[in-house]
Amino acid sequence: MSRWGGVSARALVGERKPARVSGRLRLAGRLARPAAGATAALRRVPRAAWVCALVAILNAICWSIITPPFQTPDEPSHFAYVKQLAETGGPPTSGSGALSHEEKVVLDALHAPQVSLRPQNRTLASAAEERTLEGALAPRNASRGSPAAGNAAGEPPLYYALEAIPYELARGGTLLDRLQLMRLLSALFAGLTALFTFLFVREALPRTAWAWTVGALAVALAPLLGFMSGSVNPDSLLFAVSAASFYVLARAFRRGFDMPAALAIGGVSAVGLLTKLNFVGLIPGILLALAVLAVRTLRASGRLPYRALALALGIGAIPVLAYAAVSTFSDSPTVGVVSSAAGSAHRSLVSELVYVWQLFLPRLPGMANDFPGLFTARQLWFDGYVGLYGWLDTPFPGWIETLALAPAGAILLLCARSLLRARATLRHRIGELFVYAALILGLLLTIGIDSYHAFPAIDAEYAQVRYLLPLLPLLGAILALAARGAGRRWGPAVGVLIVLLFLAHDVFSQLQVVARFYG
Amino acid sequence: MRSVKVALAGGLTVLLLTIGLTLLGSPLSVARTNRPPGRPEEPIATANSSASYCQDAETLPRATSAIRVWLDAVAGPRVTLGVYSRGRRVTSGAHGSGWVGGSVTVPVKPLDRTVYDVTVCISFVVQDETVTLQGTNEPKRLWIEYLRPGRQTWASLAGTIAYHMGLGRAAPGTWIVFLAIALVVAVSMLTSRLLIRELP
Repeated sequence: MSRWGGVSARALVGERKPARVSGRLRLAGRLARPAAGATAALRRVPRAAWVCALVAILNAICWSIITPPFQTPDEPSHFAYVKQLAETGGPPTSGSGALSHEEKVVLDALHAPQVSLRPQNRTLASAAEERTLEGALAPRNASRGSPAAGNAAGEPPLYYALEAIPYELARGGTLLDRLQLMRLLSALFAGLTALFTFLFVREALPRTAWAWTVGALAVALAPLLGFMSGSVNPDSLLFAVSAASFYVLARAFRRGFDMPAALAIGGVSAVGLLTKLNFVGLIPGILLALAVLAVRTLRASGRLPYRALALALGIGAIPVLAYAAVSTFSDSPTVGVVSSAAGSAHRSLVSELVYVWQLFLPRLPGMANDFPGLFTARQLWFDGYVGLYGWLDTPFPGWIETLALAPAGAILLLCARSLLRARATLRHRIGELFVYAALILGLLLTIGIDSYHAFPAIDAEYAQVRYLLPLLPLLGAILALAARGAGRRWGPAVGVLIVLLFLAHDVFSQLQVVARFYG
Repeated sequence: MRSVKVALAGGLTVLLLTIGLTLLGSPLSVARTNRPPGRPEEPIATANSSASYCQDAETLPRATSAIRVWLDAVAGPRVTLGVYSRGRRVTSGAHGSGWVGGSVTVPVKPLDRTVYDVTVCISFVVQDETVTLQGTNEPKRLWIEYLRPGRQTWASLAGTIAYHMGLGRAAPGTWIVFLAIALVVAVSMLTSRLLIRELP
């Protein structure tokens, strides 16, 4: 029992009633045990993991300062959701763009509509414009919530409920005060993402301790993580929960599928489903993981872990049941969006699969060409990863995207070398590898199928790299493998260069954003 | 450990030198534009298949290194651009596909003289998706901007940029720039310390 557990137990003890003391002590002990366990688990987290988390948080805070208010994807809509939730206690009910008067006058004073998607336009540049903004921020323009939250209206409420806390804390300040405080909460989620990436890489590659730092530190410095986590967007929490999912699965594969593991897998799945609908893409992989883990336990002990399976599935199903209940008793757009997405296929399944294939991979012979003149893997995904900030309107020059192919290729070659060397070990972990592949596939299919609904009017509506960031822990593992692939002698030095590459990418991305908005 | 320290020192030196060189470069500035100030763009034509569009009576300023044309698309196609004078191509360039937003900037080979009365032609290949050409309808003109490196370096513009960064904030002021720089330095120092500490 921890010291705190002891203190709380003593506090519960009444001196004059010894007969009931022991019972209360037992209760306090039972209550304190999970807390003590959690404290001990936190103490076991290596210091390097905490530093990686701190780096990610500071980096995201820096991005939150550099990026002008509302110049990140859908930030006005996500802010509107929180405003409605915090001020009225209920979620938005309309997906229209009719935001509250308070938010609209501030957006106009910031010239936000003229700046977004128009890289030739800059943000405020004069004292007169600043005075206009101050007028717009005045309390007389305050309004209570807004039932409309644009495309955020259909999202689950967890992230927005958490963001309501900083919103309330800054209630006495201006709208921009609230926005900045909310951005800082998102930045904390970047720290969780880096922390869980470290822990995942530690479970996945247990023998090379120094490589854990390489993988997690590089992820902590990934500019797109900083950019998204420096804004008000549920993606920031989604990245953290997804990283936690990878960690708890890897831990279960390495240390066994017991009740705590089942509780953790079910718990993160429930949190993920309550965070953003995109988490649905990881569910097939998580279900496959539970099946593989159950079979492994059956083989090892001769008993199927019914209770652990039921616990994981039961906890994970709570949000699904909640959605179903909301769907039955109200007209919530949350379920409406999901059902409309599920039922809006407009062409054959084959053409849908062909489209999804080409959205990520080169077209095969015999396939209809859905992306003429576009090498999707390179131009949508790789170039998008290299840099596309603001409202996806702030890229690097084309030559930098070409230059970036060289280090990316080198990292992939080193990773392949490392995997080749470890092929004997990989054979023993084939089930776990299939699970990671299923997690990737599920997410890609979700993005592809959603994009197909707008096709052909819009070629690739959701071809945004941020939607792939739930897979950041795998990037961390790839980078750790690449460093290890350079061999014992040069591996650590290559690891340093990989991390510095990410640091340089981050710094120049920030400079690019500064040049675009303030230059 | 020695290789780690050497790699770290070398990498950080290269990073600092690259930042310095970047700051000594000049941002592109608008040498000429046919965009009326403050006027919102209007759609002047749309295309959902392969298309070319030429606009005459343009002037190509000396040293133009990029031409921005107002095209709107969700995932824009590859755009090729040519500038013609009396039927002869004087410069050209291309921008890869995958761009987004309301304009695309095509890098072109700079010339050492201004060329008057040129025709600017753009062409692209699309299938199904719609590309909108934007500009002014009365008279019908595609908006085109000619960009060339400005006379001032990024470093000399630092004061102006810092002033702009300080506007539109929860707590306005150029102090925000120093906070951002301090955060970058802190991130770099923590990263370096951790690498030295953890890597053998």
